[in-house]
Amino acid sequence: MPPSRTKTIKNKHAANGSGISGSKAQRAGPMDGIVKNKKGPPPSSKPSNSKAIAAILKKRRKKTYSEKELDIPKLNMITPVGVEKPKGKKKGKVFVDDRESMNTILAMVQADKEGEIESKMIRARQMEEIREARRVESEKKEGEKQAVLDETKDSLRKKRKRAGKPAFIYTEGEDDDAMLTGGNAVKAKKKRVSFA
Amino acid sequence: MRPLTEEETQTVFAKLASICGNSLKNLIAPIDNSPSADRYVFRVQKDRVYYVLLSMANLATTVARDNLLSLGTCLGKMTKTGKFKLHITALPILAEHSRYKIWIKPSGEMPFLYGGNIVKAHVGRWTEDTPEHTGIVVFSMDDRPLGFGVTARSTAEARRLAPTGMVVFRQADAGEYLRDEDSLFSSG
Repeated sequence: MPPSRTKTIKNKHAANGSGISGSKAQRAGPMDGIVKNKKGPPPSSKPSNSKAIAAILKKRRKKTYSEKELDIPKLNMITPVGVEKPKGKKKGKVFVDDRESMNTILAMVQADKEGEIESKMIRARQMEEIREARRVESEKKEGEKQAVLDETKDSLRKKRKRAGKPAFIYTEGEDDDAMLTGGNAVKAKKKRVSFA
Repeated sequence: MRPLTEEETQTVFAKLASICGNSLKNLIAPIDNSPSADRYVFRVQKDRVYYVLLSMANLATTVARDNLLSLGTCLGKMTKTGKFKLHITALPILAEHSRYKIWIKPSGEMPFLYGGNIVKAHVGRWTEDTPEHTGIVVFSMDDRPLGFGVTARSTAEARRLAPTGMVVFRQADAGEYLRDEDSLFSSG
Protein backbone atom coordinates (compact mmCIF):
# COMPACT_ATOMS: atom_id res chain seq x y z
CA MET A 1 0.00 0.00 0.00
CA PRO A 2 1.54 3.34 -0.99
CA PRO A 3 1.86 5.95 1.71
CA SER A 4 -0.91 8.43 1.73
CA ARG A 5 -0.22 11.92 0.55
CA THR A 6 1.14 14.30 3.14
CA LYS A 7 -0.66 17.53 3.77
CA THR A 8 0.63 20.88 4.92
CA ILE A 9 -1.48 22.21 7.73
CA LYS A 10 -1.33 25.89 8.43
CA ASN A 11 -3.31 25.75 11.62
CA LYS A 12 -3.29 22.42 13.26
CA HIS A 13 -5.90 23.45 15.79
CA ALA A 14 -8.25 24.10 13.04
CA ALA A 15 -7.44 20.80 11.45
CA ASN A 16 -10.70 19.18 12.07
CA GLY A 17 -13.00 22.00 11.54
CA SER A 18 -12.54 25.46 10.26
CA GLY A 19 -16.03 26.16 11.33
CA ILE A 20 -17.19 26.18 7.78
CA SER A 21 -19.34 23.24 6.97
CA GLY A 22 -18.46 21.48 3.77
CA SER A 23 -14.93 22.88 3.66
CA LYS A 24 -11.96 20.82 2.54
CA ALA A 25 -10.73 20.25 6.06
CA GLN A 26 -14.11 19.15 7.16
CA ARG A 27 -14.49 16.72 4.37
CA ALA A 28 -11.06 15.18 4.94
CA GLY A 29 -10.85 12.44 7.50
CA PRO A 30 -8.94 12.46 10.79
CA MET A 31 -5.33 13.55 10.39
CA ASP A 32 -3.64 10.32 11.47
CA GLY A 33 -2.04 9.72 8.13
CA ILE A 34 -4.16 6.75 7.34
CA VAL A 35 -6.94 7.15 4.98
CA LYS A 36 -9.46 4.43 4.88
CA ASN A 37 -12.02 3.82 2.37
CA LYS A 38 -15.20 4.59 4.06
CA LYS A 39 -18.00 2.32 3.54
CA GLY A 40 -20.97 4.31 4.47
CA PRO A 41 -24.48 3.14 4.00
CA PRO A 42 -25.34 3.17 0.41
CA PRO A 43 -27.43 6.09 -0.67
CA SER A 44 -30.93 4.97 -0.44
CA SER A 45 -32.70 5.62 -3.56
CA LYS A 46 -35.93 4.29 -2.30
CA PRO A 47 -38.92 6.55 -2.75
CA SER A 48 -40.16 5.66 0.74
CA ASN A 49 -37.24 7.56 2.31
CA SER A 50 -37.78 10.84 0.44
CA LYS A 51 -40.22 12.07 3.02
CA ALA A 52 -37.74 11.58 5.83
CA ILE A 53 -35.06 13.45 3.88
CA ALA A 54 -37.39 16.32 3.31
CA ALA A 55 -38.12 16.41 7.03
CA ILE A 56 -34.39 16.44 7.86
CA LEU A 57 -33.80 19.21 5.34
CA LYS A 58 -36.59 21.18 6.87
CA LYS A 59 -35.10 20.80 10.29
CA ARG A 60 -31.70 21.96 9.11
CA ARG A 61 -32.97 25.00 7.30
CA LYS A 62 -33.23 27.46 10.12
CA LYS A 63 -34.21 31.02 9.63
CA THR A 64 -31.19 33.23 9.16
CA TYR A 65 -31.36 36.76 10.42
CA SER A 66 -29.65 39.63 8.73
CA GLU A 67 -27.73 42.17 10.83
CA LYS A 68 -30.42 44.74 10.39
CA GLU A 69 -33.13 42.46 11.63
CA LEU A 70 -31.25 41.57 14.80
CA ASP A 71 -30.96 45.20 15.79
CA ILE A 72 -27.62 44.64 17.55
CA PRO A 73 -25.95 47.82 18.71
CA LYS A 74 -22.96 48.59 16.57
CA LEU A 75 -19.64 48.55 18.36
CA ASN A 76 -17.02 51.24 18.24
CA MET A 77 -19.27 53.65 16.49
CA ILE A 78 -20.71 56.93 17.49
CA THR A 79 -24.00 57.96 16.00
CA PRO A 80 -24.67 61.67 16.41
CA VAL A 81 -28.05 62.52 17.86
CA GLY A 82 -29.18 64.37 14.80
CA VAL A 83 -28.25 61.56 12.42
CA GLU A 84 -30.11 58.81 14.20
CA LYS A 85 -33.58 58.69 12.84
CA PRO A 86 -36.39 57.36 14.98
CA LYS A 87 -37.94 54.18 13.68
CA GLY A 88 -41.46 54.18 12.46
CA LYS A 89 -41.79 57.95 12.49
CA LYS A 90 -42.95 59.99 9.58
CA LYS A 91 -40.48 62.19 7.81
CA GLY A 92 -40.97 65.94 7.56
CA LYS A 93 -42.55 68.78 9.54
CA VAL A 94 -45.81 68.69 11.42
CA PHE A 95 -47.81 71.80 10.69
CA VAL A 96 -50.26 73.45 13.00
CA ASP A 97 -53.06 75.11 11.15
CA ASP A 98 -56.31 74.26 12.88
CA ARG A 99 -57.80 76.70 15.35
CA GLU A 100 -58.04 74.30 18.27
CA SER A 101 -54.38 73.38 18.44
CA MET A 102 -53.40 77.02 17.86
CA ASN A 103 -55.63 78.04 20.75
CA THR A 104 -54.08 75.37 22.96
CA ILE A 105 -50.55 76.56 22.21
CA LEU A 106 -51.61 80.18 22.71
CA ALA A 107 -53.24 79.40 26.06
CA MET A 108 -50.10 77.60 27.24
CA VAL A 109 -47.80 80.40 26.16
CA GLN A 110 -50.04 83.06 27.69
CA ALA A 111 -50.27 81.22 31.00
CA ASP A 112 -46.47 81.08 31.06
CA LYS A 113 -46.15 84.80 30.33
CA GLU A 114 -48.80 85.72 32.87
CA GLY A 115 -46.94 83.80 35.53
CA GLU A 116 -43.70 85.46 34.54
CA ILE A 117 -45.17 88.96 34.66
CA GLU A 118 -46.97 88.23 37.91
CA SER A 119 -43.80 87.01 39.58
CA LYS A 120 -41.96 90.06 38.26
CA MET A 121 -44.60 92.36 39.72
CA ILE A 122 -44.58 90.58 43.06
CA ARG A 123 -40.81 90.74 43.19
CA ALA A 124 -40.85 94.43 42.27
CA ARG A 125 -43.41 95.13 45.01
CA GLN A 126 -41.39 93.25 47.58
CA MET A 127 -38.24 95.09 46.59
CA GLU A 128 -40.13 98.37 46.83
CA GLU A 129 -41.34 97.48 50.33
CA ILE A 130 -37.82 96.56 51.42
CA ARG A 131 -36.47 99.79 50.00
CA GLU A 132 -39.17 101.80 51.74
CA ALA A 133 -38.47 100.07 55.06
CA ARG A 134 -34.74 100.75 54.69
CA ARG A 135 -35.40 104.37 53.86
CA VAL A 136 -37.60 104.82 56.92
CA GLU A 137 -35.01 103.12 59.09
CA SER A 138 -32.16 105.25 57.80
CA GLU A 139 -34.28 108.39 58.25
CA LYS A 140 -35.01 107.40 61.81
CA LYS A 141 -31.35 106.76 62.51
CA GLU A 142 -30.43 110.06 60.95
CA GLY A 143 -33.03 111.81 63.10
CA GLU A 144 -31.70 110.19 66.25
CA LYS A 145 -28.17 111.18 65.38
CA GLN A 146 -29.27 114.73 64.72
CA ALA A 147 -31.13 114.81 68.06
CA VAL A 148 -28.05 113.63 69.93
CA LEU A 149 -25.94 116.18 68.12
CA ASP A 150 -28.38 118.97 68.93
CA GLU A 151 -28.47 117.90 72.54
CA THR A 152 -24.72 117.97 72.81
CA LYS A 153 -24.66 121.34 71.11
CA ASP A 154 -27.25 122.70 73.50
CA SER A 155 -25.48 121.34 76.53
CA LEU A 156 -22.25 122.87 75.37
CA ARG A 157 -23.95 126.21 74.86
CA LYS A 158 -25.50 126.07 78.34
CA LYS A 159 -22.13 125.28 79.85
CA ARG A 160 -20.64 128.18 78.04
CA LYS A 161 -23.43 130.39 79.25
CA ARG A 162 -22.85 129.33 82.83
CA ALA A 163 -19.13 129.66 82.53
CA GLY A 164 -19.22 132.89 80.67
CA LYS A 165 -21.84 134.72 82.74
CA PRO A 166 -19.39 137.41 83.82
CA ALA A 167 -18.60 137.95 80.21
CA PHE A 168 -22.14 139.02 79.66
CA ILE A 169 -21.96 141.33 82.66
CA TYR A 170 -18.72 142.53 81.36
CA THR A 171 -18.97 146.01 79.94
CA GLU A 172 -16.52 147.91 77.87
CA GLY A 173 -15.43 150.22 80.62
CA GLU A 174 -14.37 147.45 82.94
CA ASP A 175 -10.97 145.92 83.03
CA ASP A 176 -10.39 142.59 81.34
CA ASP A 177 -8.77 141.30 84.47
CA ALA A 178 -12.06 141.37 86.29
CA MET A 179 -13.32 138.51 84.17
CA LEU A 180 -10.10 136.66 84.52
CA THR A 181 -10.01 137.06 88.26
CA GLY A 182 -13.59 135.99 88.45
CA GLY A 183 -12.69 132.86 86.57
CA ASN A 184 -9.62 132.32 88.67
CA ALA A 185 -11.57 132.76 91.88
CA VAL A 186 -13.76 129.83 91.00
CA LYS A 187 -10.79 127.75 90.13
CA ALA A 188 -8.93 128.74 93.31
CA LYS A 189 -11.53 127.01 95.42
CA LYS A 190 -10.42 123.68 94.13
CA LYS A 191 -8.33 121.65 96.51
CA ARG A 192 -4.91 121.03 95.36
CA VAL A 193 -2.20 118.67 96.38
CA SER A 194 1.34 119.46 95.65
CA PHE A 195 4.53 117.70 96.34
CA ALA A 196 7.36 119.88 97.30
CA MET B 1 -45.32 79.36 1.64
CA ARG B 2 -46.30 76.99 4.43
CA PRO B 3 -48.07 77.01 7.80
CA LEU B 4 -46.00 77.19 10.97
CA THR B 5 -44.81 74.07 12.75
CA GLU B 6 -45.69 73.54 16.39
CA GLU B 7 -42.35 74.85 17.65
CA GLU B 8 -42.48 77.89 15.40
CA THR B 9 -46.02 78.67 16.53
CA GLN B 10 -44.85 78.53 20.12
CA THR B 11 -41.95 80.93 19.55
CA VAL B 12 -44.10 83.36 17.58
CA PHE B 13 -46.83 83.38 20.21
CA ALA B 14 -44.30 83.73 23.04
CA LYS B 15 -42.89 86.82 21.37
CA LEU B 16 -46.29 88.32 20.68
CA ALA B 17 -47.43 87.56 24.23
CA SER B 18 -44.50 89.52 25.64
CA ILE B 19 -46.05 92.68 24.20
CA CYS B 20 -49.73 91.83 23.85
CA GLY B 21 -52.17 91.11 26.63
CA ASN B 22 -55.06 88.71 26.87
CA SER B 23 -56.62 90.05 23.70
CA LEU B 24 -54.02 88.08 21.75
CA LYS B 25 -56.50 85.26 21.25
CA ASN B 26 -58.61 87.64 19.16
CA LEU B 27 -55.80 87.51 16.60
CA ILE B 28 -56.76 84.03 15.51
CA ALA B 29 -60.49 84.27 16.20
CA PRO B 30 -62.83 84.05 13.21
CA ILE B 31 -63.93 87.35 11.76
CA ASP B 32 -67.66 86.73 12.31
CA ASN B 33 -69.94 84.08 13.75
CA SER B 34 -70.98 82.42 10.53
CA PRO B 35 -69.96 78.74 10.18
CA SER B 36 -67.78 79.34 7.13
CA ALA B 37 -66.22 82.52 8.51
CA ASP B 38 -62.84 83.59 7.34
CA ARG B 39 -60.01 83.80 9.86
CA TYR B 40 -56.45 84.99 10.07
CA VAL B 41 -53.60 82.48 9.92
CA PHE B 42 -49.81 82.56 10.08
CA ARG B 43 -47.75 81.61 7.05
CA VAL B 44 -44.01 81.31 6.48
CA GLN B 45 -42.60 82.42 3.17
CA LYS B 46 -38.84 82.00 3.01
CA ASP B 47 -37.93 83.11 6.54
CA ARG B 48 -40.65 85.75 7.07
CA VAL B 49 -43.78 85.12 9.06
CA TYR B 50 -46.97 86.65 7.67
CA TYR B 51 -50.32 87.23 9.32
CA VAL B 52 -52.84 86.77 6.57
CA LEU B 53 -56.48 85.94 5.89
CA LEU B 54 -56.99 82.25 5.21
CA SER B 55 -58.83 82.95 1.95
CA MET B 56 -55.94 85.08 0.74
CA ALA B 57 -53.40 82.46 1.79
CA ASN B 58 -55.31 79.88 -0.20
CA LEU B 59 -55.32 82.15 -3.23
CA ALA B 60 -51.61 82.73 -2.84
CA THR B 61 -50.89 79.03 -3.32
CA THR B 62 -51.31 79.66 -7.03
CA VAL B 63 -48.15 81.76 -7.02
CA ALA B 64 -44.86 79.91 -7.15
CA ARG B 65 -42.71 80.13 -4.03
CA ASP B 66 -39.89 81.89 -5.80
CA ASN B 67 -42.22 84.46 -7.28
CA LEU B 68 -44.14 85.22 -4.09
CA LEU B 69 -42.53 88.18 -2.35
CA SER B 70 -45.02 89.11 0.36
CA LEU B 71 -48.63 88.68 1.42
CA GLY B 72 -50.76 89.98 4.27
CA THR B 73 -48.93 91.64 7.16
CA CYS B 74 -45.32 90.71 7.79
CA LEU B 75 -44.90 90.11 11.52
CA GLY B 76 -41.20 89.42 11.56
CA LYS B 77 -38.62 86.86 10.63
CA MET B 78 -37.45 83.52 11.92
CA THR B 79 -33.73 83.50 12.53
CA LYS B 80 -31.58 80.54 11.64
CA THR B 81 -31.21 79.70 15.33
CA GLY B 82 -34.97 79.26 15.59
CA LYS B 83 -35.76 82.57 17.29
CA PHE B 84 -38.37 85.02 16.11
CA LYS B 85 -37.67 88.71 15.58
CA LEU B 86 -40.55 91.16 15.40
CA HIS B 87 -40.41 93.79 12.67
CA ILE B 88 -41.80 97.30 12.63
CA THR B 89 -44.38 96.08 10.09
CA ALA B 90 -46.14 94.26 12.94
CA LEU B 91 -46.76 97.55 14.75
CA PRO B 92 -50.46 98.00 13.77
CA ILE B 93 -51.27 94.58 15.25
CA LEU B 94 -49.16 95.08 18.37
CA ALA B 95 -50.55 98.58 19.02
CA GLU B 96 -54.08 97.22 18.91
CA HIS B 97 -53.46 94.45 21.44
CA SER B 98 -50.67 95.90 23.60
CA ARG B 99 -50.69 95.41 27.35
CA TYR B 100 -48.30 98.20 28.35
CA LYS B 101 -48.08 101.56 26.62
CA ILE B 102 -45.92 104.62 26.86
CA TRP B 103 -46.70 108.05 25.42
CA ILE B 104 -43.80 110.31 24.58
CA LYS B 105 -43.75 114.10 24.39
CA PRO B 106 -43.32 115.80 20.99
CA SER B 107 -39.78 116.72 22.02
CA GLY B 108 -38.94 113.02 22.35
CA GLU B 109 -40.51 111.82 19.09
CA MET B 110 -37.61 112.67 16.80
CA PRO B 111 -34.87 111.12 18.96
CA PHE B 112 -36.95 107.95 19.13
CA LEU B 113 -37.72 107.85 15.41
CA TYR B 114 -34.03 108.22 14.66
CA GLY B 115 -33.32 105.04 16.58
CA GLY B 116 -32.67 106.29 20.10
CA ASN B 117 -33.86 104.87 23.37
CA ILE B 118 -36.41 106.76 25.45
CA VAL B 119 -35.17 108.84 28.37
CA LYS B 120 -37.28 109.83 31.32
CA ALA B 121 -37.41 113.47 30.31
CA HIS B 122 -39.32 112.54 27.14
CA VAL B 123 -42.02 110.47 28.79
CA GLY B 124 -45.44 112.07 28.71
CA ARG B 125 -47.22 109.28 30.57
CA TRP B 126 -47.18 105.52 30.78
CA THR B 127 -49.14 102.56 32.03
CA GLU B 128 -49.09 102.24 35.78
CA ASP B 129 -47.48 99.15 37.31
CA THR B 130 -45.32 98.27 34.34
CA PRO B 131 -42.63 95.78 35.33
CA GLU B 132 -39.08 96.04 34.01
CA HIS B 133 -37.82 94.15 30.95
CA THR B 134 -41.23 93.70 29.42
CA GLY B 135 -42.51 94.62 25.96
CA ILE B 136 -44.09 98.03 25.56
CA VAL B 137 -45.58 99.95 22.65
CA VAL B 138 -44.56 103.56 22.15
CA PHE B 139 -47.15 106.16 21.19
CA SER B 140 -47.00 109.88 20.49
CA MET B 141 -49.13 112.12 22.70
CA ASP B 142 -51.87 112.10 20.06
CA ASP B 143 -52.07 108.28 20.22
CA ARG B 144 -50.17 107.44 17.04
CA PRO B 145 -48.08 104.28 17.43
CA LEU B 146 -44.40 105.03 16.76
CA GLY B 147 -42.68 101.79 17.63
CA PHE B 148 -42.05 99.33 20.39
CA GLY B 149 -39.36 98.33 22.82
CA VAL B 150 -38.54 96.85 26.20
CA THR B 151 -38.81 98.67 29.52
CA ALA B 152 -35.51 99.34 31.26
CA ARG B 153 -37.11 100.09 34.64
CA SER B 154 -40.38 99.52 36.34
CA THR B 155 -42.65 102.54 36.83
CA ALA B 156 -41.83 102.71 40.53
CA GLU B 157 -38.09 102.73 39.89
CA ALA B 158 -38.40 105.19 37.04
CA ARG B 159 -39.92 107.77 39.41
CA ARG B 160 -36.64 108.09 41.23
CA LEU B 161 -34.64 108.18 38.03
CA ALA B 162 -32.76 111.23 36.75
CA PRO B 163 -34.27 112.95 33.67
CA THR B 164 -31.49 111.57 31.48
CA GLY B 165 -31.97 107.98 32.66
CA MET B 166 -33.29 105.45 30.15
CA VAL B 167 -36.73 104.01 30.66
CA VAL B 168 -37.31 102.12 27.39
CA PHE B 169 -34.87 100.33 25.11
CA ARG B 170 -35.92 100.66 21.50
CA GLN B 171 -36.54 97.52 19.45
CA ALA B 172 -38.26 98.95 16.40
CA ASP B 173 -39.45 102.39 15.36
CA ALA B 174 -41.35 103.83 12.41
CA GLY B 175 -38.14 105.43 11.14
CA GLU B 176 -37.04 101.97 10.00
CA TYR B 177 -39.39 102.26 7.03
CA LEU B 178 -36.89 104.76 5.66
CA ARG B 179 -33.66 103.59 7.25
CA ASP B 180 -34.07 99.89 6.46
CA GLU B 181 -36.06 100.29 3.26
CA ASP B 182 -33.78 97.91 1.38
CA SER B 183 -33.73 95.04 3.80
CA LEU B 184 -37.17 95.31 5.39
CA PHE B 185 -39.12 93.46 2.72
CA SER B 186 -36.62 91.56 0.63
CA SER B 187 -35.98 88.21 2.20
CA GLY B 188 -33.12 87.21 -0.01
